[in-house]
Amino acid sequence: MRGLDLGAMRSTATQNAGAFIGALLLIVLVVVGAFTIDGFWSVINLRSMLLFASFLGIAAIGQTLCALVGGLDLSIPFVIGAANIGALRVMNGGVPSGVAVVSILFLAALVGVVNGAVSYRQQGQALVVTLGVGTAVLGLVQILVSRQGTAGIAGGTIQGEVPGWLQGLVSLRSSLGVAPSVFLWAGLSVLTILLLRRTWLGRGIFALGGNRIAAKRSMMPELGIWVLVFGVSAVTAAVTGILLLGFSGGGYADVGQPYLFTTLAAVVIGGTSLVGGRGSYALTIIGALILTVLQSILAGFSLSAAGQEAFLGAVIIPMVALYARGQHPRMLI
Amino acid sequence: MSRPSAISGSVGRLRKQTTLVTPFGLLVVLLVLSGVRGPHLFTSDGLAGAIAAASPLIIATVALTVIALAGPAGVDLSIGPLMTFINISIVLGLTKVGLTGPVEVFACAIGIGIVIQIGMGALIAGLRLSTVIVTLAGYLILAGMSTVLLPQPGGIAPDWMSSWAAGVTIFSPALYVLVGSLVLWALLSRTTFFRNIRLMGGNNRTAFVSGVRLFPTLVGAHVIAGIFAGIAAVMYTGLISSADPTAGISFTLSAVTALVLGGASLAGGRASAVGSVLGAIDIWLISYVLATYNFGLNASYMVQLTTGVVLVLALLVGGLLASFSVSRRRRLARLGGEQ
Repeated sequence: MRGLDLGAMRSTATQNAGAFIGALLLIVLVVVGAFTIDGFWSVINLRSMLLFASFLGIAAIGQTLCALVGGLDLSIPFVIGAANIGALRVMNGGVPSGVAVVSILFLAALVGVVNGAVSYRQQGQALVVTLGVGTAVLGLVQILVSRQGTAGIAGGTIQGEVPGWLQGLVSLRSSLGVAPSVFLWAGLSVLTILLLRRTWLGRGIFALGGNRIAAKRSMMPELGIWVLVFGVSAVTAAVTGILLLGFSGGGYADVGQPYLFTTLAAVVIGGTSLVGGRGSYALTIIGALILTVLQSILAGFSLSAAGQEAFLGAVIIPMVALYARGQHPRMLI
Repeated sequence: MSRPSAISGSVGRLRKQTTLVTPFGLLVVLLVLSGVRGPHLFTSDGLAGAIAAASPLIIATVALTVIALAGPAGVDLSIGPLMTFINISIVLGLTKVGLTGPVEVFACAIGIGIVIQIGMGALIAGLRLSTVIVTLAGYLILAGMSTVLLPQPGGIAPDWMSSWAAGVTIFSPALYVLVGSLVLWALLSRTTFFRNIRLMGGNNRTAFVSGVRLFPTLVGAHVIAGIFAGIAAVMYTGLISSADPTAGISFTLSAVTALVLGGASLAGGRASAVGSVLGAIDIWLISYVLATYNFGLNASYMVQLTTGVVLVLALLVGGLLASFSVSRRRRLARLGGEQ
């Protein structure tokens, strides 16, 4: 089917080109920001950009893994929202905050297992599977939260006491220089990259996304890998949801909505193929940084939230068109 | 190699029949439930209201069907924001310039739908970008612009629109528009051009080798989607009689759910308007049945929960039915071989 050596060479070449253009784009954006916006280069703005990049980067770990096996996880925004309000409610229900976080992450993993198992069965439909599971989960969590609560839930927002350590994790005035969540992101990034490059499992993920039949013949546990990547995706989404809780100090069910687009965009701008088998998390990091810098610039031009949204949508297309294009069918014959 | 492809060819034909089982079965269940919970639906009044209320979703799902057919991974996530954008354009723009007659409104709505869909289709086909990314970008642009134009729900639609969608009698303009759209689809789906769309969605390599020109075919599929999106937006405007910039995401979600419920495969090449219409009616009936229960503040979360669960179950049941028919087909093929 595919010329093996040629295909491998081509994919390394496009990946290097992607990394190069991505890094160049990031530098250009930083320079543009520094010259056009007052205070862009200030310590506080750099810190806050890194903090926002860590929210996006952590959630994009899962999206990258899912894209590598050839699926997309559209449940990420819903899981972020569900973890966000769920964690707050559990913490305020008298459960120690550490236990609350662990149990929310565990529940998120279960959601991911469902996503992975059903998406594996319905090959090619991961997009709608995760959309369905995500909506159902957020609906259910909102019902549970509003049933239990004394304060109740109004318009998707709930009030409550956020533990100090969680606020400290995303604090811009941390004594470490940057918020501790940035270190968390760095640690998780190293783990993800090592997993993908150095382990049997990582090779399995690439193999599965590249050629299902070949992966099956080399005894890769297909179902296991699907369950694992979607499980990781739900857990990383939940981590972002909990971090956002610390940042905003209250629960909001729709807090994850922007991440539907930005996680996908970070993966695609990084040059990871959405049909699987080609890409890397290191490139997604560049994608996440590009998006965060871009958002900071747009905010610097004092665009409204809606205006920023529209503008972001408009600039993504040319960026993606630079290097994330598919092949013409005539190349595949 | 020849045997599996021969099998998959016949399976394709078989699947086309089995996919309707899920939406139709669900429809029967929901109709029985509605009969028990809210028999008002089966009165002349109730039916008239139902037609007016469900037609925007039905027509929007038909718009998604053609993009799903053109595949691969052809899911148009921008449908909801596109409809709200047209909705706002009608209520704010057209009333301002005084173009409020039915002909002008339909022409403008369909025109906007076509122009935006051509833009997205040209990007997808010309630059070979993924449909999900392009339509998500379209989603952001349209939703952002809608909110900039109209931050809060408001405005008043032209008078004739609200009376069209008031749902007083069954044979209302809403019904005529709905039937007209379906007739339009039936006519379009008999053209060679439409067969090319289907062929391209099934396998774009085969289509390319057979001389189908991929760029115009994909853009054409988007033009058809734009026409239906425009009609759906007019019906939606009539239904709410005002403009609402916030309805986009839930509309996208309902329409995509209806599409999948109707048996469309996002792998491309396989989707039917009949299935999509049944799927859309199912989605509307689910919210109708749920509304008969007293969930209070939880009502919208209940709809979210049920829609999501139904979507996943429909996929699973559809997959099971398909694999049954595959194994039956294989058994038959084996028997044939032994004779």
